[in-house]
Amino acid sequence: MTTAAFWFLFLAGVAAFAAQTATRLRLVAAAPNTFSIDDLPFRLRRFLADVVLQARTIRERPAAGLMHAFVFWGFVAFAGYTSVEFLYGLGLVDLTRTSWFEAYRRLLVPFAAAVLAGIVYLLVRRAIVRPVALGPTVSLESVAIALFIATLMITFLLAFRLDEASAAGRANWWAHMLVILAFMALIPASKHFHLVLSPITVFLKSPELGNLPNLDFEKEQVGLETVKDLGSKMRLDAFTCVECGRCQVNCPAWGAGKELNPKTIILQTQHALLDGPGDAKLGAVYSEKVLWQCTTCGACENQCPVGIEHLPILIGSRRGLVSNGDAPGYLGAMYNNLERRSNIWGLGYDQRTKFVQAAGLETFDPAKHDVLVWLGCAGSFDADFQKSLRSLFAILRAKSVRFGVLAKERCNGDPAKRTGNEYMYQELANGNIEDLKAAGVKKIVTSCPHCVKTIGADYAKFGYRVEILHSSVFVEALLRASTAARGASDGGARDVVTYHDPCYLGRYGGTVDEPRALLARFGADVREPVRNRDNPYCCGAGGGLLFADKEEEPGSRISDVRFKQLQATGAGTVVTACPFCSIMLKGAQASAGADTQFVDLMTYVDGRLQKATA
Amino acid sequence: MKIAVCIKQVPTREWQPRLNDDKTWIREADASFEMNEPDAYALEEALRLKEKHGGEVVVCSAGPSRVAQVIREALARGADRAIHVEDDGLASADAFVTSAALAAAMKDEGFDLVLTGLQSDDQGFAQVGVIMAEKLGLPHATIIMEVNVDGSSLRVKRELEGGWFQWVAMPLPAVLTIQSGINQLRYATLKGIMAAKKKEIRKAAAPAGAAAKQKIVSLYVPEKGKKTQIIGGSPAEAAKELVRRLREEARVIQ
Amino acid sequence: MIVVVAEQRGGALNRATWETIAAAQQLGGAAGAPVAVLVPGARAGAAANEVAAADVQEVITLEHAALEPYTPDGFTAALEAALEQLDARYVLMPHTYQTRDFAPKLAARMDRAIITDVTSIKSGGEPAFVRPMFQGKLTADVVPQGPAPHFVTFQIGAYRVDHAKKGASAARVRALTVDVDASTVREKPEAPFQQAKQAVDLSQAERIVSVGRGIKEQANIAVAEKLAQALGAEIAASRPICDAGWLPMERQVGSSGQTVAPKLYLALGISGAIQHLVGMKGSSTVVAINKDPDAPIFEIADYGIVGDLFEIVPAIIDAVKT
Repeated sequence: MTTAAFWFLFLAGVAAFAAQTATRLRLVAAAPNTFSIDDLPFRLRRFLADVVLQARTIRERPAAGLMHAFVFWGFVAFAGYTSVEFLYGLGLVDLTRTSWFEAYRRLLVPFAAAVLAGIVYLLVRRAIVRPVALGPTVSLESVAIALFIATLMITFLLAFRLDEASAAGRANWWAHMLVILAFMALIPASKHFHLVLSPITVFLKSPELGNLPNLDFEKEQVGLETVKDLGSKMRLDAFTCVECGRCQVNCPAWGAGKELNPKTIILQTQHALLDGPGDAKLGAVYSEKVLWQCTTCGACENQCPVGIEHLPILIGSRRGLVSNGDAPGYLGAMYNNLERRSNIWGLGYDQRTKFVQAAGLETFDPAKHDVLVWLGCAGSFDADFQKSLRSLFAILRAKSVRFGVLAKERCNGDPAKRTGNEYMYQELANGNIEDLKAAGVKKIVTSCPHCVKTIGADYAKFGYRVEILHSSVFVEALLRASTAARGASDGGARDVVTYHDPCYLGRYGGTVDEPRALLARFGADVREPVRNRDNPYCCGAGGGLLFADKEEEPGSRISDVRFKQLQATGAGTVVTACPFCSIMLKGAQASAGADTQFVDLMTYVDGRLQKATA
Repeated sequence: MKIAVCIKQVPTREWQPRLNDDKTWIREADASFEMNEPDAYALEEALRLKEKHGGEVVVCSAGPSRVAQVIREALARGADRAIHVEDDGLASADAFVTSAALAAAMKDEGFDLVLTGLQSDDQGFAQVGVIMAEKLGLPHATIIMEVNVDGSSLRVKRELEGGWFQWVAMPLPAVLTIQSGINQLRYATLKGIMAAKKKEIRKAAAPAGAAAKQKIVSLYVPEKGKKTQIIGGSPAEAAKELVRRLREEARVIQ
Repeated sequence: MIVVVAEQRGGALNRATWETIAAAQQLGGAAGAPVAVLVPGARAGAAANEVAAADVQEVITLEHAALEPYTPDGFTAALEAALEQLDARYVLMPHTYQTRDFAPKLAARMDRAIITDVTSIKSGGEPAFVRPMFQGKLTADVVPQGPAPHFVTFQIGAYRVDHAKKGASAARVRALTVDVDASTVREKPEAPFQQAKQAVDLSQAERIVSVGRGIKEQANIAVAEKLAQALGAEIAASRPICDAGWLPMERQVGSSGQTVAPKLYLALGISGAIQHLVGMKGSSTVVAINKDPDAPIFEIADYGIVGDLFEIVPAIIDAVKT
């Protein structure tokens, strides 16, 4: 009788689970396929770290992360126990009296305690402490699930005290099993679906941050226009979101009071998939305005513990808008500049030529030169950044590095790509690749992290592979190899500086040690700001926001927020390693009327080297 | 409305001048080309008028085969079709020859409105639009800031010197030369670029016997290059010298 | 004969006519031809009397209904009829907006050469007309082809008003009549007007004085405003000045503000950050005043003074006023 009842409830639970899961799986199956499992070793390593060891969850929020880890490890540990109890309840086989099961149960006790402690901590955090990342309202579903988990552990522990044959004991058992069945019915439609999906989404997440495959114009691909254009990985991501808010609180736009909230984007995706018509425009789903507030810094995607890739959705939607002529005015002007002049400033080529001549640069010749120095658009046209390049040239010449520059450079295409203008990006990229190949370039050094990322990682999608290093990496290796590179720091007062990691260098490139090594080499006292290394707070230039008008900029300026963070370190000097960080932060300094000094890393190094040899 | 836009392909503004052997024209082989920027504003105005009043925008250009590049750019931005008067000699032709070529190809189309840019970035005579009006027998106005179409008549705002403006009415069809900067130029969208590949470009031959009315006997690089002149001396001396140079050299103040 | 077509409105002569007279005198002297000034339009008499002071052979007034108000149809018809009565080898005009509007039509009507926007004349057996091409990167010597008259228009400011020679006595003034059907004029112009200054439109300004952080305090902006007034210029600023509220946002020049292309851009205490530069790179002449000799603005300036702008700007105001 009880077995029949249990079967009934079991099937009901399974059916509920299956039906809701099927809806979601069908949506994923109907999507254009964006799954990939390239670079298997990387994926397996990341799976081990992020899923099994919960590294990413713990790193961002150590206490909550550890508590969650307890719950997760407990969940995994309990798998065997739950299976045995179900087999028993369904009358299929009774392993509950075996000795190994008894031993297993006892082993589970510390797990249960840990899970209980963890879930209570998390429940209190969610319902009482209510950090902003978890949203403005308390999710009743989350509270229910938390209570479910607590109940499961309590009933498990109680089972040691109760006689299983007694009424209390049987009620305890039924409570435990019913909670599991209720859980099963609830999870597909809640954020707890991540229990099933997140190991998959973590595994399927691209090894590359902000992975944006090229659009295939032959196939008339134009980007994401409507909900039905969302790819399979994007849909899985939407269903796996745990609403933890790590993406939100790390987003520089959100931090500056703008409307963009990466968590909202993912949840809007989920609702649009489940509720909306497939032909709903993504510009309406997310609100176009919000899509243009993203700097593409990647903080959201990088912090996500369940493998969600925010950037393909954001930038994919931008592509859809741009392909239809709906880019904001300031970007339209930028695209026209790129089309006419191959640089975002719209400045004439004679300015680059003037600089090349004045700096005595040679045209790259593989027979004569070891490396190509890629000037980039700031290096070609921004007189301020050219000072930093002159420092780089001085360092290279002092170390007898033979280098040349290309006769012609176009913008690497990053501003076009990150704002969604794929056509312009591919035009620029293909032009540059042709020139680089024709010039016989094998190794490139550049001071712009956007050039490093685009020419290094993005051009690879065209099949073009070249070694490209940020100047900090190249110079640090140079100085390490040379014994005379001791700075004028011994005995003198130490420079108190702070270093701002560029998003495209620290986060995308993972280059965080070399710049610090260079500063340490000369004895600088480096005061770290909040948000540093591979999780910096963006300067606000990326994603086309360099040109955003005042009206397009709600909230405060991202650059102003970051500048305050740098000021808060107490350092009088900010060291930058990216021309755009320099432009944005100097602008913030001017607006704030502050006295902070700015120096580019290469200028700092060259200055110290000269002092040393003087 | 049937609107024609005359566009010219010119060497890019960033191109470094190289002269041909007899120093009467540039060495084209070294140059890269783009759409004349004032014409881009005329094209934008035409596209906006089409969006408002319906009809078609036909882009017309006279020049060698390479001119197809700017025609495609115009089609990618939304022009419906194009007319290309193809002839190598048109690359360096004067306004009379160019106007004759364009007018001959356009006269049977029955355009309601013909728009051109103010002047070209290469020769910069600012004549083609006005001469075409004469050749087509149409009324015209130049340096236009705003275009209002009402049925079969036109009311346009002319820019005058010193911050003055004037509205002028005239019947359609008419010719207008458009002031730069009157609108924000749209960019070529991916969909526009894809669609442009399928749009019609009608080739026309240049009419025989159009005589040039001027000749460039010598083309050369001017002595004064664009170099920064730092003026030294005491503040009073430097100020006086600056004002002198602005008056006499740069001629930007009276 | 060399005919200068004067430009006047309501009896007030456009100053540029004097520049054209100077050019005509140069051309006439070299070619050995007399210069006559043709003054079209209503109330031509007053302008004619003014221009009669020039060292020219005669001044001819041309009044006709078709010439008032100005229309290209009217001017073309009347001037063609007038030129048929004059034996002109060259017809010269200042390259004003009005001239640009009708002169090519007149030349095309008469099937004669027209060379526009000329900066100087190279005298010789056959005079050549010098003008910039390719955005000023090259200069061309151009000769007209075909029968006379040849039309030439002169760039404003290329010749100086005070280089026009005055005559010992006033030249004689006579009237010319033409037979033109005024009903053939198709354009209907309304009265010219000046744009109401509600919105600041720096993009159309011919001269701009722009201030940056070097101005130090809000009170000091008055110095820049005085200079702007003396030069007949608009005042503008880089972003920090507008952020601080010292000048309204509409006066911000830069990638996130206005894009300007004046004939003269005076940058006071502006460092030249690239976001500012892209907003003013279209300026014909850039003057930079900054106390930092390494300021990037000097890279793109045509003229620069390194020094204290609070000493230099008042000196410029004095020099402009003399």
